[in-house]
Amino acid sequence: MKEKTQVADIDRSLYDFRYEEDESSFLDSGITPDIIREISAEKGDPAWMTEFRLRSLEIYNRAEMPQWGPDISGLDMDRIVTYIRPKKGMQSDWNDVPDDIKETFEKLGIPQAERESLAGVGAQYDSELVYHNVRREVAESGVVYTDLESAMHDERYADMIRSHFMKLVPPSDHKFAALHGAVWSGGSFVYVPAGVHLEIPLQSYFRLNARGAGQFEHTLIIVEENAYLHFIEGCSAPKYYEASLHAGCVELYVGRNSTLRYSTIENWSKNMYNLNTKRAVVAEGGKVEWVSGSFGSHVSYLYPMSILNGRGARAEFTGITFAGEGQNLDTGAKIVHNAPETSSYMNTRSISKSGGISTFRSAVTINENAVGSKSAVSCESLMLDSISRSDTIPAMVVKTDKADVGHEARIGRISDEAVFYLMSRGLDENAAKALIVSGFAENVSKELPLEYAVEMNNLINLEMKGSIG
Amino acid sequence: MTKTKLNILPVPTFNRLGVNFIEREAAFDEENISVPDGAERQTIQFVETDCKTTAAVGKNAKLKLVQIFTDSCASVLKASVADDAQFELIQLYIGGDNASEIITELNGYKSAFTAEIGYDLGADESLDLNLDVSHYGRRSTSDITANGVMRGNAQKTFKGTIDFRNGASGAKGSEKEDVILMSGTVMNRTVPVILCAEEDVEGSHGATIGRIDEQHIYYMRSRGIPEEKICEMITRARLDRIIKKIGDKDAQERICGILGRGDEDDE
Repeated sequence: MKEKTQVADIDRSLYDFRYEEDESSFLDSGITPDIIREISAEKGDPAWMTEFRLRSLEIYNRAEMPQWGPDISGLDMDRIVTYIRPKKGMQSDWNDVPDDIKETFEKLGIPQAERESLAGVGAQYDSELVYHNVRREVAESGVVYTDLESAMHDERYADMIRSHFMKLVPPSDHKFAALHGAVWSGGSFVYVPAGVHLEIPLQSYFRLNARGAGQFEHTLIIVEENAYLHFIEGCSAPKYYEASLHAGCVELYVGRNSTLRYSTIENWSKNMYNLNTKRAVVAEGGKVEWVSGSFGSHVSYLYPMSILNGRGARAEFTGITFAGEGQNLDTGAKIVHNAPETSSYMNTRSISKSGGISTFRSAVTINENAVGSKSAVSCESLMLDSISRSDTIPAMVVKTDKADVGHEARIGRISDEAVFYLMSRGLDENAAKALIVSGFAENVSKELPLEYAVEMNNLINLEMKGSIG
Repeated sequence: MTKTKLNILPVPTFNRLGVNFIEREAAFDEENISVPDGAERQTIQFVETDCKTTAAVGKNAKLKLVQIFTDSCASVLKASVADDAQFELIQLYIGGDNASEIITELNGYKSAFTAEIGYDLGADESLDLNLDVSHYGRRSTSDITANGVMRGNAQKTFKGTIDFRNGASGAKGSEKEDVILMSGTVMNRTVPVILCAEEDVEGSHGATIGRIDEQHIYYMRSRGIPEEKICEMITRARLDRIIKKIGDKDAQERICGILGRGDEDDE
């Protein structure tokens, strides 16, 4: 009898630990003007931000739920706690971080990664940053890496924050952008001055520990001309039976002839609704590179968007999605070509197993002024059983004749011919199949720094067995 | 006449793209085509009014349906294909503002569907095309090819869905659209969708959208052919490939007449 190839669910035990929370630090669940004012007061917002939050709440109340993606009717916003007071303020020394929080990040390997391979680290626990530090030589080069709240209150950056905050992703963009505008808390601000090439990455790690809560961090990155930055974002949460919500927002400004690489390994627990919004605008000759691994969450809506506004601007999106039991992961990317001679490349892989649903969704728009632009999209899906689903929904809108757009997609299972070929070269069947699935995911792992590629391989944790029947 | 929602994408996507459905006034004439088990039939329709066609292709039967759209109209074609049956569809859009929906259910074992679609959209013409092929039958196959040219302020949306249903093991489906844009004011939308609920299938789609290859233009210009003529030649070549597949001389002559071509087309 033919035995199916078995690929294990992702092992989340590394991430699935938790500490009891002091619920007196929780604000009331739900979203009302009073709660928004309370968040704003807790955070000491300037007046303009309080008004911004309240305006966003009005938009949120008017906006409709999305009608086109996975079902999110299990998300009851009246039960979500949107803000949790921190036990202690943000620290720049791990020794000063509260013990349970420090232990959490140590288990996740963040302090070790900081010592070994990062130029700076930010760590958020529930609603607020608990740790932020940047290497001295990096700070001396003029790079700013801090939490958004501190930057907003620093007169050197306050105007910059005000002129950029939620300008790329306005609250009117969609319902959960409006929610973010109303309740955002935490996140990072990065400023890379002109001409600075940061050779080693910065990393922010977001941990949501509390039960029935939301995390709404905001990441704002401004890279000036002729500069380079690699920013890594990691996220995880322990599993609860109640729904949790992540509605973060990332806004990236890439200057002339600069490159920003933004890598994400998302490993939220399977009770998480991950409704995140990410967007970049790229100036002349600039480039944004998205590297995205989506492994966790119960439901995801995630489509990083690149707006190519300058002549010769470029965007690359490389992504992998692994949907297992109980997961409905709707991921992809959006690219808008808005200037001449811009180019984009999207390359994705998705794997579905054990009833998981994986959807690749994309939109490439070539506007009238984007003459001489080029775009290519390639997506491949692997189905590991017949109780899962894998859908591919790309869209291309082209408004000029002077552009070239290509798209290709494939869906299928592990090829018997490929297994046969590898076996004829001396591999046993299990090794052959493991090699094929690893190779399938390689497009993303090879784009990650080594330690994150290892983490991704741990996440996939392929366990192959079986035989050709 | 009230507007009807047509060409609904089987799974909606981003609303802002404007591809999830269209609304249009339509008063449908209805036609049924039934091909009994083991029979073969060819039907040619010059579609000039709104029409709803239902086609049932019996076991081991063959249907070749040719539809030529010469004027603004809405069309809905629903077909079911039984065991070992083949449904070949050829569509040509050569005038007007058209909305066309093709829903095919490959119900039978080894049922097969091929679609060859051509369009030449000029001036302010438009086309909204929605194909939805559902594979229910084991080892069923589908192959969709669309080739077209857009000029002036033409607007076109091509939505092609291959839907592998659970149980359709061994099924294969592919779709390909190749569009040439000949004006800076066209609006082209392409949405090639694959939905998959079965492990043992092979699906692929591809699309190329853009201008005429510059090397082709350079080659032909170096032979003294003006650029305007080059565009005309390429448009013609694309349509001719499909016209030749119709395989009916009277229909071919009528199409050439509509396209304003003379006797030269018979040579």
